[in-house]
This record gives sequence, structure tokens and C-alpha cells, in this order.
Amino acid sequence: MSLPPAECIYKRRWVPRPSSITGKSSRPNSETSTTANALPPVLGQSARTTDDDAKLIFGTVFSLRNMVRKLGGEDDSFVTYRTSQYKLHYYETPTNIKFVMLTDTKSPSMRVALQQIYINLYVEYVVKNPLSPVEHPGGVGVNNELFEESLEQFVTRVLS
Amino acid sequence: MTVFSLIIINKAGGLIYQREFQPGLRKLSTNDYLVLAGTFHGVHAITRSITPKLPVAAATTTASTPTSSNVPSTPGTPTPITPASTHSFPNPGVPATGLESLETDKFRLTCFQTLTGTKFLLFTDPMMTSIDTVISKIYELYSDYVMKNPFYQLEMPVRCEAFDRHLMGWLRGRT
Repeated sequence: MSLPPAECIYKRRWVPRPSSITGKSSRPNSETSTTANALPPVLGQSARTTDDDAKLIFGTVFSLRNMVRKLGGEDDSFVTYRTSQYKLHYYETPTNIKFVMLTDTKSPSMRVALQQIYINLYVEYVVKNPLSPVEHPGGVGVNNELFEESLEQFVTRVLS
Repeated sequence: MTVFSLIIINKAGGLIYQREFQPGLRKLSTNDYLVLAGTFHGVHAITRSITPKLPVAAATTTASTPTSSNVPSTPGTPTPITPASTHSFPNPGVPATGLESLETDKFRLTCFQTLTGTKFLLFTDPMMTSIDTVISKIYELYSDYVMKNPFYQLEMPVRCEAFDRHLMGWLRGRT
């Protein structure tokens, strides 16, 4: 069986505010917004690991999607799965672009949020941009300031 | 309250039991069920390994030793292997597990892994509640009628009539 081309075209990592992980015992000076915003997206992990993670996530999502289609029929698709540590939300567009979001286990369903990211942000800023490439060989990916900015706003204001 | 089917996977990823209780899911061939069991076994392991790790108190290390702040942000440089204590899981104190429940439009898959690595996969209606009770009862029946059966060979397909009978009877009694 041949796999469709798998290219991670965008990834972004949000680190929770220190208060939410370590509780109130953490030092107050770690609350500064600069640390939270200036963090590179790969903090705590080398760039190689996040690349591998993207591949692993693709493999997982791809296998699960095929499994679900076999059992539930062609029009079925999985929405989310949960482990003891995290929750993975999945949304696939009709053109087979896959949006995956990992959250903590307590968060509600993100299906609508992922759909909104696709419709309001990805289509608006990436698809409608005449300069953005259709294919992403080599892994430059979505390199779009407007998209990143509005995604940042969407996630920090709407989702948290 | 609908339980579609039950699958039991041994610790090596082999299918040892498969039974359908109510129609609702597509029927697969025996071979496809074997493939499904193996695939799920692999995916289960991967879902555990992609558990996100959160940096612990990154701000304090940068504050105390300013030089260390450059290390993670330099792309291309092989960062030294950081000790495990710099990361924590999102739910500290809980061991990281693989996939525990999966939701689709048509069904919900709940996976329960025993301490010995056997996995019970229960396919139910997405609206169904109290799946935990069902799973623990199934585990109880499995312990009583499969594991205590002196003729059952470990890791081999389950062919125990008493298990089938009690499982069917109990599930029928619940609906």
C-alpha cells in the first residue's frame, strides 16, 4: 500500500502559563509574558525530536483513520482520542489536509475550533494568498505571518 | 446503551478474541481483524511515546544561569541530553498510558490494558455511559472463565464456552 505524501507544513507549540503547571508555589517572576511569548516553539526538545514527533503523529492519525473507516464505513472519521496524559483532536478537510491539535485531557471537543482554524485562518490567509506554494516540498511549510499572528490570537483569546 | 463488539489482544499484539454483540459496525474478515489488532497494538505504543512533555521551571534556570538560555534556542546545535527532571507530563503523578478512548461519529472505542499487557477493546455507542463498569465486568469474567480454565494456554486464542455464555448473558441482562 502506498502512503500519500506526508509533509508537516505547520507546527506550533504553546507552553502553558507556569501557574497552570506547577501551581502557586512557583516563583512569581516566572510569570512574565516575555518568557511565554519569546519561547521558541521547540523549547525543551531539540528540533530533531519535533520533526520525528510530527511523523509519529502522522502515522498514528493515518492508521487510526483507516481503522475507523474500515469499521464505521467510508463516511466515518475519528474526532478525538484520549490517553491518561493528553487528548488529540483531529479534523480532516475534503482535500485531505489534516489538522491535529494536542491538548490536556480536560479540554472540551476542539472539532469546531479546528474547523474554524481551517475556514477562517488557513483558507483566508494561506489558500487565498497567491504567493503561497500549493505543494510544500522540502519542508518550508506555511510561512505566513498573517496566518501565524491570527492563529496566535485565536488560540490565546478564544481557546484559553 | 449499545455494546457493538469486544476484541481482546494479547501482549504481543495478536488477536485472541473477537465477538460481535450487536450489529452497527461493519463486519470484517478474520484476516482484517488480525491486522486491526496488530495495528492497534502498534498505534497504542506510539500514542504513549508522543505524550507531550512540558518544560519544568524554564524561567528559573534562565534567571540563575544566563548562559543556559542560549542552548535550547540555537538551531542546528546538537543540544546535550537533558536530564529527565527538566520535563514533566501534563498530568504529573499519573503514569503515561497509550490510547484509552477514541471517539468517532459512529462509535466509541475504549481500551483497557491489564497489568500483564492484555488489551480489551470495547466498541460501544458514542453516547453510552458507565463503560468502566462493563469493562471491569468483562475483565472479571475473563479472569474467572478464561484464566482459571486449566486447559487454556496463555496468549492463545480464547475458546472457552463458559466465557462466551456468561459474557452474552451478562450483556443481555443489562440491556
